[in-house]
Amino acid sequence: MLITENLTRNFLMATTVQENKILILATESCAYPGADSVGQAHSSYPANTYILRVRAPVMFPERFYLDCFKKGISGIIIMSCGEECPYEGAYHAMAKRIDRVYQMMKKLDIDIRRLRITAICTVCNRPFLKEVNMMNDIVQELGPPVLKESQPPVTEQEPA
Amino acid sequence: MTDGQTITCDALVVGGGIAGLQSALDLADQDFSVVIIEKDLSIGGKMIRLSKVFPTLDCSSCITTPKMASAAHHKNITIYTWCDLKELTSNKGSVRARVTQKPRYVDQDKCIGCRKCEYSCPVYVPDPEQGGFCATKAIRIPFSNAIPQTAALDPESCMLCGKCEKICPTGAVDYFQKPFDFTIEATTTILSTGFEMTTIEGKPQYGDGKVPNVVTALQMERLLAPHGPYNRVLRPSDGMEPDSIAFVQCAGSRDKSMGIPYCSRFCCMYAIKQAMLLSGALPLADIYIYYMDIRAFGKGYEQFYQTAKAMGIGFIKGKVGRIEEAENGSVAVRFEAQDGTGVTTENHDLVVLSLGVLPDWSPEGICSVSTAEDHFIQTVQPSIGPTLTSRQGIFVAGAASGPKDIVDSISEAGAAAMEASNYIIAQGK
Amino acid sequence: MTDPKKMKKNKEKSEKIGVYICYCGGNISDHVDVEKVREAAEKFPGVAVARTNSFMCSDPGQELIIEDLKNGVVDRVVVASCAPSLHENTFRSAITRAGANPYIYDHANIREQVSWVLHGDKATYKAEKLVAAATGKAGLLEPLDPIRVNARKHATVIGGGIAGLKAARVLADRGLEVVLIEKTPFLGGNAAGLDTVAPLGEQCSALIAELAKGVLEHTAITVLTRSEVVGFNGYVGNYNLQVKTTLSSSSAFDKAAGHVVPFEGDNADTPTEQNVKTGAVVLATGFRSYQPKTGEYGFDDHREVLTLPEFIKQLSEVNCSGDILELNGRKIRAMAVIHCVGSRQIPGIHEEDENGYLNEYCSRTCCSSILHAANTVKEQFPKTNIYDLYRDIRTYGRGQEELYDRAARNRVVFLRFEAGNSPTVSANDDGSDYALKVTIEDGLTFSEEIEVPVDLVVLATGMEAGDVSDLVSMMKLPVGTDKFLQEVHPKLAPVEMSVSGIFLAGTAQAPMNISEACNGAAAAAVKTASLLSKGYLELDPYVAAVDQDLCRGTGACVDACLADGALEMIDAETENGTEKKARVVPALCLGCGACVAVCPTGAIDLKGWSLKQYEAMVDMIVADELIDI
Repeated sequence: MLITENLTRNFLMATTVQENKILILATESCAYPGADSVGQAHSSYPANTYILRVRAPVMFPERFYLDCFKKGISGIIIMSCGEECPYEGAYHAMAKRIDRVYQMMKKLDIDIRRLRITAICTVCNRPFLKEVNMMNDIVQELGPPVLKESQPPVTEQEPA
Repeated sequence: MTDGQTITCDALVVGGGIAGLQSALDLADQDFSVVIIEKDLSIGGKMIRLSKVFPTLDCSSCITTPKMASAAHHKNITIYTWCDLKELTSNKGSVRARVTQKPRYVDQDKCIGCRKCEYSCPVYVPDPEQGGFCATKAIRIPFSNAIPQTAALDPESCMLCGKCEKICPTGAVDYFQKPFDFTIEATTTILSTGFEMTTIEGKPQYGDGKVPNVVTALQMERLLAPHGPYNRVLRPSDGMEPDSIAFVQCAGSRDKSMGIPYCSRFCCMYAIKQAMLLSGALPLADIYIYYMDIRAFGKGYEQFYQTAKAMGIGFIKGKVGRIEEAENGSVAVRFEAQDGTGVTTENHDLVVLSLGVLPDWSPEGICSVSTAEDHFIQTVQPSIGPTLTSRQGIFVAGAASGPKDIVDSISEAGAAAMEASNYIIAQGK
Repeated sequence: MTDPKKMKKNKEKSEKIGVYICYCGGNISDHVDVEKVREAAEKFPGVAVARTNSFMCSDPGQELIIEDLKNGVVDRVVVASCAPSLHENTFRSAITRAGANPYIYDHANIREQVSWVLHGDKATYKAEKLVAAATGKAGLLEPLDPIRVNARKHATVIGGGIAGLKAARVLADRGLEVVLIEKTPFLGGNAAGLDTVAPLGEQCSALIAELAKGVLEHTAITVLTRSEVVGFNGYVGNYNLQVKTTLSSSSAFDKAAGHVVPFEGDNADTPTEQNVKTGAVVLATGFRSYQPKTGEYGFDDHREVLTLPEFIKQLSEVNCSGDILELNGRKIRAMAVIHCVGSRQIPGIHEEDENGYLNEYCSRTCCSSILHAANTVKEQFPKTNIYDLYRDIRTYGRGQEELYDRAARNRVVFLRFEAGNSPTVSANDDGSDYALKVTIEDGLTFSEEIEVPVDLVVLATGMEAGDVSDLVSMMKLPVGTDKFLQEVHPKLAPVEMSVSGIFLAGTAQAPMNISEACNGAAAAAVKTASLLSKGYLELDPYVAAVDQDLCRGTGACVDACLADGALEMIDAETENGTEKKARVVPALCLGCGACVAVCPTGAIDLKGWSLKQYEAMVDMIVADELIDI
């Protein structure tokens, strides 16, 4: 589902991408405090990173990721709790979903390096910086995503 | 509250610093009614006056203000500031406190904290909340985060020009306000009366307070604080940006000749913290810490110390024997180096003394709890009941029973609240 | 009747968002142009007002928000300040005080994620973006009500050492039912191996006996020894612990002198497993003593090298007269104690363990402990010479500096070494009958190399985190880089763990002495009491909710659900007759959102963290012209 037509949407129509934006979905129990810990250490990392606090990335459907690329997000890092996930089974379900997203990205000719899934804990300062810098190198190389003209409609339904 | 009034509550907390606030919150969250009395104009204690706190380098204000605000807004907590505890008696499951409300010369109920009085006041006085480094007015809100946000007039400095009274939009200024007494009846009391630092005056070996550019650690906190007097670190005598700064540890502690044989416990860590903050504020400055032993014992403290060493802060093992005025405002520090070079003198632009820690309050003549040889409140079961005093129903938390860092004070405050809760329950109330 | 679908369509985003941006007294404003962010925020869709304050968390700062809410200027709140973990509750309660619903608020983290990692224009730009995203979400926020659940007035304490005993006792006195679970047959934990404790020289066995008596005599406390937690589920206020009690005989465990044995003999003939229903858990799982590596200061290579706990034990069993200490029939004419063994290790200097790990922390208790032991020796056996090899003497607490003074008066000889230049312990080869020699470059005497022949070396071994890997994985507990259990924040939430209703007591958290462990235990108890004493508690309302109009009854959400029973299919009466619809059981819903991703019609979403809100946030992040107007 794309966002509804309303004032905000109209307002956004003229969107121009200025920087290669990286969206980070960071779990509130591990990766988000991990990102804060990087801040507490005053370690700098690329500015084009936007960290969204999520309870569990398992909530995002395939189309969310594809929509983000359509909207002009250049890269997405899912920073999960990995094995420390507080919701048993969520990590596995999400990993399977991401595999499907990769397939869809290939069909749409979106470089799959633009989407990465990783585990970051609350004190993972160095892994956090490594992931962010790595993704930044990729998006600087690739630039903003350009989607195929005749793109197939994004399936909304999960394959059974 | 009025003259002669009696207030009843489950627990009385004496002292609204971080320990008292934590105790009060932990009691109030269990639905016990709590009264905090505070001798100062604002709650928040020493902690609200600090810059940042070790080992996380959180800004101190960010940690203290929410606790201050939640205590101030808690439905079960009532706070009285600018009070003197005159007498505290305990008797079979109840305590009775006689308290004097000191005059602010501003009606607390009328004052809206607009600061018009402060802006109009023509009398400048050294600001005690900024280490005396800059000026404030004779009538003022004590500092920006103070709770309550009520002005108070300093009668020593006021020249009674009447400007504040005229400009006050609510008619809150009252030059004729008198002190009055009231009574608090509670089931239990927690003493969280905190600490104070010794002064430089009276220590001839450190210049007796007469050597310029020798400051106390609390003054350095203000120089480093976000709302500090200069908004940057400058040395007080001439406003020069210091290139060489030295911290003198145990300047009054671990020294029987100065009356404090014990270790003041948190000076090593705040000196390291200040040194780290200074190296951020003045990247080119050389920073040294003269010490006997670095006591970085708490969770994450040793790692903090090692980080400071890696940042290039100089740690010099040696006892400073003398501090004297040198040329151009610099300070000569004479110390006995333990690396074999013997007695050496080094000049620094600014010297910070880690002075000794003393209790801020003595129960003598007020309350019959015992103190120990170190003058801090005695605890009768120091190992398994560290918050129990010699009087049943009176508990102690934080630096009132010996120097303690913030983490340990907060932990002990929770413990005191637990013991106090159980005491209230045991009284069948 | 109004068509509910139409009502939904008409429901608009909030147009009265208030944005409150904090200077954090320079922490933010030194790097972010806060006023520029405010100007930008004023132009974001739906924003009614944007304000700044030097400390938004202070009373005057909170008052700005309260006033705007009370005056009807705003109905949604965005605060841009430090990490939400610090002040989310502060602002929620401010909003509550204004008479509004606390869930109409979102937070932009412009300190930890902006001003502390970026400088200059980039910082200001990113702060604007994060504020923009938060306003996007805030526009879609709806008032929520916490889920009230009954809470058992029952707490479980894991660990029967000093901290566990203290916690159990004060919790029971507070009126809670308590189960104390201890894996050995004994109460008293590690402290039972100590003889007398620094600084006062109290008999440790007496302290344990007093605490254990209070626990064993308390009718509200059930003590389960030889027991371990093998299963854990439920949620705050209503946890279920599966507790397994084994029958291994007492001889399978090392009983120390100070241990209290609550139950003599085995009174059952089969291992038992029971379910403990409890409201909260206090972890008092303790520490383990550092075991030196073979060859570390001669350990294992020379039988005359002991750890501090071994030495304390041998010393307490000494039965000799004269003025020289004798251990196992051997005269100890001279002994050396070495501090910081297994503590304060420094990368590049100390040898990592097999997992590439170092104990970088200070163990806090060993300096006082070893000085206390040294004084005990010197005051009884003055002719035993003691050399104390240290890096820093950390006698920080009340009465501890006196131990140091006393040791000096007792003529303990202090020698100081640097971390990078540790002393060595080797077989003595000078022809005398001393078994060992210790070599040190003494920092107190011009870094002169000194060789000291000794009969005994005692290593002041520190504390390591206890092995609680089973509990860590069962309860999803955070562990720090030092391997001790990690509190939420050392000052704001010092005994709380990130899992609600689980608290930390004593040395499970960090090295501490008995007094500090008792304070930690009582502090954990007071939080437990605050949580449970009302008999109910209020949970976050972040649960899934189904839009019955959009639900087509595919059941995909039920299949995806990770919590047993949290989602179910029901027969619902609609205008089309009976239809299958999904229904959420809020108290069981974890709020993970696994259902959200699979719904083909977008009928199910997570309250407070909805997919629509995330989409709005992304829209605001990619909308560059918002910034450039």
